Amino acid sequence: MNATGTCEYQAKDYKSNLKPIWCPGCGDYTVVQAIYRALAAIGRPPHEIAFVSGIGCSSRIPGYTTAYGFNSVHGRALPIAQGIKMANPDLLVLAAGGDGDGFSIGGGHIAHMIRRNMDIAYIVMDNQIYGLTKGQLSPTSQKGRITATSHYGSLEEPVNPLLYVLAYGAGFVAQAAPTDLPGMAAVIEEAIRYPGFAFVNIQSPCVTYGEEAQQVKGLKAISQNLVDIGHNPADRLAAMDLAQHYGSKLYLGVFYRNPEPPRTYTDLVKDRQELLSKDALPKERILDLFIKK
Amino acid sequence: MAMTGIDFNALSLMDALDLAILVEDEAQERYEEFSEQMEQHRTPEAAAFFRHMAGNEAKHGRELSARRTHMFRDAPRSVTRAMLFDVEAPDYDAARAFMSPRRAMEAALASETKARRFFEAALNAIRDASVHALFLELRDEEIQHQELVQAEIAKLPPDSGLADEDFVDEPAPQ
Repeated sequence: MNATGTCEYQAKDYKSNLKPIWCPGCGDYTVVQAIYRALAAIGRPPHEIAFVSGIGCSSRIPGYTTAYGFNSVHGRALPIAQGIKMANPDLLVLAAGGDGDGFSIGGGHIAHMIRRNMDIAYIVMDNQIYGLTKGQLSPTSQKGRITATSHYGSLEEPVNPLLYVLAYGAGFVAQAAPTDLPGMAAVIEEAIRYPGFAFVNIQSPCVTYGEEAQQVKGLKAISQNLVDIGHNPADRLAAMDLAQHYGSKLYLGVFYRNPEPPRTYTDLVKDRQELLSKDALPKERILDLFIKK
Repeated sequence: MAMTGIDFNALSLMDALDLAILVEDEAQERYEEFSEQMEQHRTPEAAAFFRHMAGNEAKHGRELSARRTHMFRDAPRSVTRAMLFDVEAPDYDAARAFMSPRRAMEAALASETKARRFFEAALNAIRDASVHALFLELRDEEIQHQELVQAEIAKLPPDSGLADEDFVDEPAPQ
């Protein structure tokens, strides 16, 4: 409690008693720390936060926070998060998962979440592999990659998550990596504060099935901060230009932030409800609708 | 290693002490986390070593806190944990399942070296004589810790020659 009588939260207030069982060295340890910091900076009490995930290593993350958590169904974090937000728009709703959960099994949901502009921050821990099931190709695996399901190298081009969401018109798009925890916490905070659908792609190395170049040292070698190169996050086309370097260059920070965020889906629904309720029957006369005069 | 929002040029002795306490806190927590990770992944020797390191960091933190209380009582703190990352704490990616005691000690040695470099770099920017003296003392302590860890590594028998990766499950098609 501070001098003004309001609660101030610290990162540790969002840390649950459950101990992570990720492999030691996994990038997701840094991600959960960044989420604690971002939530502390936002300052909403844990009971006002709902955190939904799909299935996979990274989808364990809600359990490591004190927020309401739902480790849900593979690829379905976003529709469930949407349902929660619609039912209780006052909740701060976060969704998280891996690249397979988001861009393969749940790939179809992202476009609709963006066009509806749901006020949800979606954090993808992109490790370019299915780690939980022991190393199969994922949608962001590089072409030529040898895995348990591609003994002679992958024949497919990877999905580019940044370009994907920018092309569908996401209002907030950012990227982070465990090479810079304060930077990661800052973009997650900004994503949460953005009024609408916000997407954060986090390059989170898999220490067990990931390749050497995708580990923290390798990421450091190709990373560059978008602020340092003078990128204007209000410029969507410039963001798309930079996003094309996904896989070869690791740009960190905010790619795009819509300077004039459109109204969110929950706002539009509320408007519609208010409009319709003007001529609506009072609750006690609702059965009149079904009674023939 | 990162530190944000701290102007070393204008750092007061109280802020410097608070910062040093937070650095120790962060290192203690990280070693505790590593210890838990090692216990989860059946690596008991590394877990015990990391637990020992957490105890050391906690002891240093308590000493610094006692000094801070003696000098400044309960004056409010203006530096926060959000301002620092990985100063003396081992990097998250330094941990590995089934890591040998040698590798665990090497991770700790790298952390002590990192902390020494941090205090050395900060010394160049510090103007206040009392803060300078404190940071010199902290830098020297890190050098001492490095020597202690090196001495422990020297006592170890040679490694088995097996890499951590040799213990990991093979990738599996599903």
